Formats: sequence, C-alpha cells, structure tokens
Amino acid sequence: MADVQVSQSKGKEKHKGKKKSKRVGVRIDMTPMVDVAFLLLTFFMLTTTMNKPQTMEINLPPSETKAEVAESNLLTLRITEDFKIYWNVGMEKPVTVDGTDKKGKLINLGKLLKDRNRANPKLITLIKVDGKAKYIDMVDIMDELNINDITRFSLAPMLDDDKRIIATL
Amino acid sequence: MSKAKRVGFKLDMTPMVDVGFLLLTFFMLTTQFKPQDVAEVVLPSSHSVFKLPDSDVMTVTVDKAGNVYLGFDAQPIREAIFGGQNKLKAGIQVELTELGPLLREARIRNPRLRTVIKADRESEYSVIQNVMETLQRENITRFNLVTDLEK
Repeated sequence: MADVQVSQSKGKEKHKGKKKSKRVGVRIDMTPMVDVAFLLLTFFMLTTTMNKPQTMEINLPPSETKAEVAESNLLTLRITEDFKIYWNVGMEKPVTVDGTDKKGKLINLGKLLKDRNRANPKLITLIKVDGKAKYIDMVDIMDELNINDITRFSLAPMLDDDKRIIATL
Repeated sequence: MSKAKRVGFKLDMTPMVDVGFLLLTFFMLTTQFKPQDVAEVVLPSSHSVFKLPDSDVMTVTVDKAGNVYLGFDAQPIREAIFGGQNKLKAGIQVELTELGPLLREARIRNPRLRTVIKADRESEYSVIQNVMETLQRENITRFNLVTDLEK
C-alpha cells in the first residue's frame, strides 16, 4: 500500500517537473486560426444582406362595399397600355397629362393631383389601369400618389366602356 | 544600423485579432441569408420606405410571363399547405383559381399572416389585377407591394 503511494507520488513529481519545464517554452502559432477567422469574417460581411426590400402598402375596400361618391368629388385616372394618362373630374371629358416622357408625365400628374386635392379636400382618386399595361406603370402611379400624400384613392378595372371613351377622344 | 533594428521588429497583432473576432461574431449572429426566390423577378422601384416585415409573410409572386407562385416564409405552414414533399421549397406555382382557397386556408392556420405581392416590373397588369381581386374577395384588403428603393 505504502509502496504504491510512494510510487504514485514519485510519478506525480516526475510529471510536474516535466510539465513545468515544457510550459516555459509553450507557444502555439495562432496564425492559421486567425486566418480562418478573417476568412469567415469576410464571408459573412459579403453575404449579409443589410437592406430589406421596400414595400408599398395598399388598402383596398372589401369587395362588397359600395361607396357613394358625388361625381364632383371623383377624379378618374385612366392609364393606357402605352402609358398615356387621361384624367377627368366627374363627367368632364378626359384630358391627357402632358409630358414628353414617362417621368415628365408623372411629375405633371403629381402637380395636378396636388392642386386638385388642395382645391377639393374631399376628392377621391380612382385609378383605372389597362390590363395590357405593365405592372411598373401602376407602381409608378401609386408611387406618385404616395409622394404627394394622396391617401384617398381606389383601384378599379379598366372596362370596355372606359376604353371606348378614350378611343373617341 | 537600420538593418540591425529591423531584425527584432515585432508587431502585437492581438488587438487586431480581437476586433476581427468581435466583428466575426457580430456578423455571424446578425446575418440573415437571402431568402431563396421562387422565380426570377426584377422589382419595380418606388420611393416608399416601408420595410418588409420579418416574419409571418405570405408572398404572391408574379413573374414576367404572368405565372403566379405562392410562398411562405415559415416551414410548418408550407408543409401544411403544400404537403410534406414541398416543405423545403420557398413556394410553388399555383393557378389563379387555386389561389383564393389556398390563401384562405393559410390565413386560418396563421391569422397574423401578412400578404405581399412581389411582381416583375414587366409583367402584365391584368395578372396583378386578378391577384388583387382574389385578395379582395378573400377579404385581404391590406397588402404590400414589394419594390426596390428608387435611386
């Protein structure tokens, strides 16, 4: 029993001595680890997507609602396939919005809507977009409304009647 | 003399490595991988700055050709609506006639779902109009259109 203990303590001492002498010179080369860390860092920095997509919120009335609006309070916008904008209030004859290109038209439309809304705060804008038009046309119009703080608008399908009205102009 | 000095030059890299690891942890924890897309869509641009919600999103994607896809961000609901074999897909192609019932079912399972429409800028408006009418019929009167920020 005693013998074993002695031998154990001897072994411990031996071990201790060895460790101590080794520890003095211990130096792990950290370079590879740091390299890997920086590699990962670059990877995460490049793959991370900071910008979440933007969205535009739209509120539509439930399909059953039928709102009665006085004609004088209703501004109708009709957008054709080739991005011509016709506007009219009530039963007036539709008029095009001038502008040489899309951007010009949109800016003019924005001004027009702003003026009209200032003149008549109860004005509701009804947007009718041709089914063959591009989605971007509709987004551009909505964007223009948003920019000019026009929140009272509604979307309606462009019917054949509407097309006929425009065609006769 | 200058040569003799350079021999013993040692720069302590520890602070740089510390900062490196700090940044690494930051990016590892905050990173969100780009969600996979069902179809390739070029987004229209707008000035709207409203951000897309993080979770509980139901996406109706319309691609350039007018195909409609329905997608969810969470796997359980995908499994419930599309079936187990499709749970790893971000979305599946649906017909316009199927869209209504699917939307209804999804909203019964998760009433907090928000609907977003993600459509290609060149896609025909009639498709979008049909999608919006479907949403309206399902009483989803508030939805979002995904756009890029205009520069």
